[in-house]
Amino acid sequence: MKGLKFSIAAAAITAGAVLGGAFTAAPASAKDVIINMAAPDWQPTRFMQEEFNRTYKSKTGNNVKLVIDFIPWPSFYQRVAASLSSGEKKYQMIVTDSQWMGDFVEGGHYLKLNKYIDADPELQAVIADMHQVLKDTSSSYPYKSTNYYGFPQFPDNMVTFYRTDLFCNAKERAAFKAKYKKALPCYYHEWQDVDWNQWGNIGEFFTRKKGSALGDGKADDDFYGIAYQAGKGYDFSTSQIHTMIWDAGGDIWDETDTKPASGVINSAVNVKAMEQFLDLLKWSPPVAKTGQMDIFVIQDLYMQGKVAAIVDWVGVAGPVIDPKASKVADKSAFAQAPGTRKSDGTINRSSNIGGQPFVLTTWNNDEVIHEALDVVKWWLSKPVQTKFVREGGGQSGMLSVLNDPGYATWSPFARAFADNIQWQKDMWHIPEFFPLLTQQQEQFDKAITGQISAKQALDSVAAYQDKTLKEAGRIK
Amino acid sequence: MPAPRSARGFLGWLLAPERRGPLLIAPAIATLVIVNIFPLLWSYGLSFFSYNAKKIGVPPRWRGLDNYVDLFTDEDVWGRFQNTAVIVIGSVAVQLVVGFLLALLFAREFPLRRYLLMLVLAPMMLSLSAVGVFFKLFYEPTFGFIPRLVQTFTGEPFVILSTPVKATIAIVFADAWMWSPFVMLLVLAGLVSVPKYLYEAAEIDRASAWRRFRTITFPYIRSLLLLALLFRTIETFKIFDVPYVLTEGGPGTSTETISVYLFRVAFNYFQTGRASALGYIVLFGVIVLTSLYLYAIQSRSSESIE
Repeated sequence: MKGLKFSIAAAAITAGAVLGGAFTAAPASAKDVIINMAAPDWQPTRFMQEEFNRTYKSKTGNNVKLVIDFIPWPSFYQRVAASLSSGEKKYQMIVTDSQWMGDFVEGGHYLKLNKYIDADPELQAVIADMHQVLKDTSSSYPYKSTNYYGFPQFPDNMVTFYRTDLFCNAKERAAFKAKYKKALPCYYHEWQDVDWNQWGNIGEFFTRKKGSALGDGKADDDFYGIAYQAGKGYDFSTSQIHTMIWDAGGDIWDETDTKPASGVINSAVNVKAMEQFLDLLKWSPPVAKTGQMDIFVIQDLYMQGKVAAIVDWVGVAGPVIDPKASKVADKSAFAQAPGTRKSDGTINRSSNIGGQPFVLTTWNNDEVIHEALDVVKWWLSKPVQTKFVREGGGQSGMLSVLNDPGYATWSPFARAFADNIQWQKDMWHIPEFFPLLTQQQEQFDKAITGQISAKQALDSVAAYQDKTLKEAGRIK
Repeated sequence: MPAPRSARGFLGWLLAPERRGPLLIAPAIATLVIVNIFPLLWSYGLSFFSYNAKKIGVPPRWRGLDNYVDLFTDEDVWGRFQNTAVIVIGSVAVQLVVGFLLALLFAREFPLRRYLLMLVLAPMMLSLSAVGVFFKLFYEPTFGFIPRLVQTFTGEPFVILSTPVKATIAIVFADAWMWSPFVMLLVLAGLVSVPKYLYEAAEIDRASAWRRFRTITFPYIRSLLLLALLFRTIETFKIFDVPYVLTEGGPGTSTETISVYLFRVAFNYFQTGRASALGYIVLFGVIVLTSLYLYAIQSRSSESIE
């Protein structure tokens, strides 16, 4: 009898607990959801991790944790590709270069998001709020289609970093004007009138020997006028050469067409543009001759006070204005990068887009997918994006943020970024991207180090692209 | 009805003295098979297929010997072998000369010898990629030590990695800096094993220094020098880290060794089948070299016994 009483009491307690659980919010049912994300190790991704840890609360009540695997950029592709091809299924999200989209979508690694977007008005609003350039270059595959795979984690473009103590120095301005009959650009609007020819003038003007007059003092070491990326690693020289090709009115192989690359990539306009790119390297620090002048090298040379102006990504501008890292933190300003002047006097500033989208992987279950998409919505929400631009060293591709009247003032480089974004183009997104890039980088490096001419390099690139694209069935 | 073997009974059977030996080495054998033998056989199989490891669900396509034929007729591959050969010949020659001279120096007693010896041995204990980074900074034309040093004399920036020849010399120097101590260590072992009475006898016979070296010292270190040549040739043939970090194979492809090229084929071009075939060609090269040198060592040993 005593046993029976105990059983009834236990059953009543259990039933009560179950019913109670059904009618109240039950923290005990909250699950731990871990989203592992591969990302390049730099300020925009570091900020995302910190901000997530500080502020993110999942709407579902689950305990969502974002664990970013910070990978150095130079080995990022190899690490991600090795992880994906090994089948380890380590990452639920990946910050990916837009050009890898074809390779990893066709490989079955990146998740197509259309059905989730179609079912979620909030995601539709996110897509509607994205700048068209980013929809085309960073989110869709095939290029410019409406098959969505990613959202911009951080959009980027190339801007000019310059020394105000030199460019705004009255003596230097007078000397420049006397020599070139043009104003030495000091203010933002003056930089908007700088083309690649004047960039060369600036290079020549500020290249000084140790002990020569420089600004209000003397150069304590050999000093160089200009620098931009011209490195063999990853896409360093390609990004700048494509930019100058587009600026000059040339083009690269069009992935939306079936015409061959020959006659396009090695056109006379492109050869001339590349010759100008090579010619301007003579005003750069000597590392340019090694073919290793990449985005981090020029950033470092600028921060060490060895060069007057560089063209580099906004993504690496943060340390430049940090006095702990940069000798020129208090005398640096940012402007739009130069372009090529057209016959009507306007300047073509077409440029190779930077930054990366983030994508979801195909092996996630529904719960992880929904939590990850909630993280996407959180990251691309106006308050978080605003904070990212104002405090996180980042930029935004969301129109609601970009069109804010105060945007240009939120960071020293925000205005240049915002003015540039409409000019951005992208290279190929097809699965053959990496072989095309690697071969092109080798040929460009040979030209940069003086082993072959611009024409020889572009002819070799054209021949390889035709062969590779034909084998892949992309051209006739 | 026989009683089932108890757990204790099975344990007893397993731990029987005649099974202890195989049991103890079983984990090592299993590890070797999993991490070494299986991938080796797997990649050998892949070398006959067209396969891209990045593509889930796309099966390998049989190519037979085509990957090998393509590689043997590919100018790029021969170019990379040529780059590798130049670096191997240059670096191993420098290592042998410098290592030998260092060994002669350290075979003598002098103040602080032990401490200096430790210092000289330090480079070979460093990680290969660390050496690559170290020399990259060392050669950096604006801040690097060597360019700054040269500039103090010439007044002009000195750019070491700007031409194929200079970049190759830079790699040879970095590799030789790291591995000359290894050669020194081997030769030193030979030098200290020479009985002192032989030198005393030679001195009584008024043998010249060169004759003493040729007839006493060299026979003792000959086989060790050959061993150093063997090890260093095989290792330098596979050189990857230093050129990859220091020059990325540039300028152009002039310092791209066969191992760096293999990495690019495997992880940039993602031609997994072709990369496997190239891996086996490199392995074959190493086996041929090893056999040649082993044969040389054996002939020398039998000569000395006779």
